[in-house]
Amino acid sequence: MSPDENKDSSSSPPSRRTFLLASGAAVVAAGAAIVSRFTNAPALLGLDRKSGPRISGGWVNESAALGHRLRDGASMPTPRRIVRVPAVAVGGGIAGLSAAWQLERHGFRDYVLLEMERDAGGNARGGENAVSRYPWAAHYVPVPGPRATLVRELFRELGVLTDTGWDERTLCFAPQERLFVHGEWQSGLDAELLGSHTGRDELHRFDDLIAEQRRSGEFTIPMALGARAGSALDRMSFAHWLDAAGLRSPAMRWYAEYGTRDDYGASTRDTSAWAGVHYHAAREPTEQGPLTWPEGNTWIARRLAARVGTRLITGTPVHRILSNGRKGWRVRAGDAEYLCDDVIFAAPTFLTPYIVEGMRAPGFVYSPWLVANLTLDRWPEERGVPPAWDNVLRSGVGLGYVVATHQALRAREDGPTVWTYYCALTTRDPATERRVLQTSTWSDWVERIMMELAVAHPNIRRCVTHVDIVRLGHAMVRPTVAFLGADARRDPQWAPRGIHLAHSDLSGLSLFEEAQYRGVVAADAVLASQHRR
Amino acid sequence: MAVPLFLSVLLIAACGLIYELVASALASYLLGDSVTQFSTVIGTYLFAMGVGSWLSRFLSRGLVARFVSIELMVGLVGGFSSTILFLAFAYTGAFRLVLYVLVVILGVFVGLEIPLLMRILKDRYAFKDVVSNVLTFDYLGALAASLAFPILLVPRLGLVRSALLFGLVNAGVALWSVWLFRAHLGARRVLAGASVAVLLLLSAGMAGATKITNLAEDNIYSDEVIFSRTTRYQRIVLTAWKDDLRLWLNAHLQFSSRDEYRYHEALVHPGLSARPSARRVLVLGGGDGLAVRELLKHPGVETITLVDLDPEMTRIFSTHPTLVALNHGSLSSPKVHVVNDDAFVWLDKHPDMFDFVVVDFPDPNNYGVGKLYTTVFYRLLARHLSRDGLVVVQATSPLFARKSFWCIAETMHQAGLTTYPYHLYVPSFGEWGFVLASLDGGYTPPTTLPAQLRYLTVAEVPRMFEFSADMQPVAVEANRLNTQVLVRYYEQEWDRVNR
Ligand SMILES: Cc1cc2nc3c(=O)[nH]c(=O)nc-3n(C[C@H](O)[C@H](O)[C@H](O)COP(=O)(O)OP(=O)(O)OC[C@H]3O[C@@H](n4cnc5c(N)ncnc54)[C@H](O)[C@@H]3O)c2cc1C
Repeated sequence: MSPDENKDSSSSPPSRRTFLLASGAAVVAAGAAIVSRFTNAPALLGLDRKSGPRISGGWVNESAALGHRLRDGASMPTPRRIVRVPAVAVGGGIAGLSAAWQLERHGFRDYVLLEMERDAGGNARGGENAVSRYPWAAHYVPVPGPRATLVRELFRELGVLTDTGWDERTLCFAPQERLFVHGEWQSGLDAELLGSHTGRDELHRFDDLIAEQRRSGEFTIPMALGARAGSALDRMSFAHWLDAAGLRSPAMRWYAEYGTRDDYGASTRDTSAWAGVHYHAAREPTEQGPLTWPEGNTWIARRLAARVGTRLITGTPVHRILSNGRKGWRVRAGDAEYLCDDVIFAAPTFLTPYIVEGMRAPGFVYSPWLVANLTLDRWPEERGVPPAWDNVLRSGVGLGYVVATHQALRAREDGPTVWTYYCALTTRDPATERRVLQTSTWSDWVERIMMELAVAHPNIRRCVTHVDIVRLGHAMVRPTVAFLGADARRDPQWAPRGIHLAHSDLSGLSLFEEAQYRGVVAADAVLASQHRR
Repeated sequence: MAVPLFLSVLLIAACGLIYELVASALASYLLGDSVTQFSTVIGTYLFAMGVGSWLSRFLSRGLVARFVSIELMVGLVGGFSSTILFLAFAYTGAFRLVLYVLVVILGVFVGLEIPLLMRILKDRYAFKDVVSNVLTFDYLGALAASLAFPILLVPRLGLVRSALLFGLVNAGVALWSVWLFRAHLGARRVLAGASVAVLLLLSAGMAGATKITNLAEDNIYSDEVIFSRTTRYQRIVLTAWKDDLRLWLNAHLQFSSRDEYRYHEALVHPGLSARPSARRVLVLGGGDGLAVRELLKHPGVETITLVDLDPEMTRIFSTHPTLVALNHGSLSSPKVHVVNDDAFVWLDKHPDMFDFVVVDFPDPNNYGVGKLYTTVFYRLLARHLSRDGLVVVQATSPLFARKSFWCIAETMHQAGLTTYPYHLYVPSFGEWGFVLASLDGGYTPPTTLPAQLRYLTVAEVPRMFEFSADMQPVAVEANRLNTQVLVRYYEQEWDRVNR
């Protein structure tokens, strides 16, 4: 600034002051704009947040409370109305629904099916959100072999099996399975075994041994067609059997362990070798499967429930079944008492001593499970082969996750999705695990799941928006050593006359096919008994 | 001493201009929209140079040593500028931030150079000569650089190495200056040592340059990018080289404007000309509007439904002047109805029937796209076909991917369609194949074609259905949702070709 200008401006102070004020205001405004820009700067510049956004969700489908009240003998409502009906089915899982299916197929409609929960399905229930439908437990049925006639009949009825073969929209889309091992996703659950000499060798020997067992004819679906109570394999644990066969490599043992954890929620030590072999030997697939739906086996349960119509009564726990002498049974549920000749008991068998007059505990062992449905707003980062339907982490405590959107037709794969995460609690004894499960918090579990999955998906936390979790204290029966010999399984007189046990736990193998078979057999018994009358 | 000094002016001027061009070119290459990129980068750079010139007043002592250090800084930052920018683009979300910070740093240093040099020289020569010579050589250097950049540097060396080369020039000038002014420099050993270190570093960069570019981006386009956008679904890039316009989706070439007429005429007319009564046409994929352009040559066609996943794609091809010129504005035709949805999902939920269907999806190189080549998809498609309707499917190369091609034909066959595979030569793709199919087993090549086709003639059409010995059918499985064999065939076959 020249001295002249200085003088000039001082001669007109007001205008100078207004100028200063104005420019000051302009500077402040610009400054404010810059500051506000900077607080938004990370977003504007594309810098990502370090910590993930908050994940919503909570425990869902909690129903342990009623079970505990039954167990503790809490007082239950006294009946206000009497309903006379020839047959009552208790428990609307796959077994109860299948019993009803069989009754309906024979034109028998004089029965009711009482289900405790709001929805039928039991372990074949599912949920739905804006992104996808998803299962809460059972999510697939293996493609049935030629001997599984009941399953085939049902699938024919449901249009899944036609004269031209299996419905291709229901067969699991490729790729079916992958394993996260050695820092990347690899195809197939046997990826680790196939990756080494010893592994390949042991897998071959294992397959040979299984093939030999398959030829014995003992391993069938349903299991009742082949199982023999005295089987030598049932007298040792699967771990023992593997030891004896010299199958000891860590990869082989993990592979076998995964099998028993996945199907029975138990370690190979806690599983009968008969059941361990059954998992591998009973399937005779004729087609690349399995059969699956985004919502899992709910798809089947819904259709079965629709066939039962108004004979299905949900939200109605049965709290007592009393003998009515020669006249049959009195089934108490809510404020009603059903007077009937026959009872199909398709609720878990361990409930019988608390509910059915004069019945003992079957002495079965049940595995606790935890299932979480994770909603993701996009597919997280990963390395290796592309996403499969079933995604297993070699290092995981859980069994990995199944992608609910896998069966979607859309070509795009990286959009929002729902993963169903499964964890069988097998480390400690079931009672301890159940206690720990009941006292653990939802956020602890979210943290555990995130840590486990982050091994394969480093940015998982930033992709997951919602996590709902169910805890299933008595999720599935365990085929422990000598399970085939249990009285409740062997002795046809174990249940009193008129009580027809139907739950899949009687098979010791928690499978759709077993539930269906038990349900149908119980229904046949009811039909025969009703026929006699 | 005069000539070498003024020569170094020429060199540093060239360097300064090269960095500016490298930054602008890289920005337009990676971000597209070259006018904006060039003007904002150059503007920022010039402004930063002004800041540098102004700052030069605060440097008073040890001018030569300062000058040498600045040269080294410019050499280092400028030399590695394109490397840094590529990596920033590949590995961070903050490419623009890095770009402009780099441009400002470089501009400031480059802005310091000339004022300092002038002041160094002003005591040795008459001021009027200094100004005149320095500016003359400055502008000469700029001219040399601006000519060499497009003609020599980019085509021969690429952006990463061009920048590194000029970094070496800057460091060379620094070393040279140390030697020229050795009598007046105190810390000459240190400066000479630093210069050598920078030279070594840049040479190492030069040696590893290819690795860096590969590391940074596996999709390097050799031509100028005139448009690029990352949409929710894909990365759309348009490149131009003379009159050749190319579209790339996720770095896969979709067409070259030089020969796309061959592809699109062959895709549409053999089928549609054989069905003069066709009224309703469906196009799946093909958001570029080029197949639609060919369809519109058939006056009998009343409605064309185009289903393309990506709204950005159909928007660009309805609005970008160059692209609208290429597809003759086909997407704006009143006959055309654009739907942005997944083709499989759309077909599954709409009952509409069509007389002719064009299926022009990307090649089946992943399980997602692979679903669109399965028995289930073709069966669904067949349900949307009128009784004597035809469908044509782009089916990759019967020569390079023979199994894939015949797998697509087999899959359509198993879905209940009668197939008529054919092929042609498209220079930018090579030998390419299509599968035409009907419901009832009727197809004879057309006896007339629309006027003014550039490739197809009535005589040519039947010849396309002949396959030479090396493209004959091979035994393959059909592609099903639960096996997706096609993706595996395709991967194996193109791996072999690309190796
Ligand atoms: C996590 C998990 C995953 C599984 N995944 C698969 C799979 O993928 N494929 C497969 O084949 N199998 C799977 N299974 C096994 C699954 O349990 C069986 O397939 C099948 O669904 C069992 O049917 P169910 O009817 O025997 O028993 P449940 O499903 O246990 O049904 C019992 C029903 O009885 C009801 N009930 C209980 N008490 C009462 C009462 N007092 N009054 C009235 N109603 C009562 C319950 O609410 C329930 O609906 C899975 C199991 C679990 C736990």
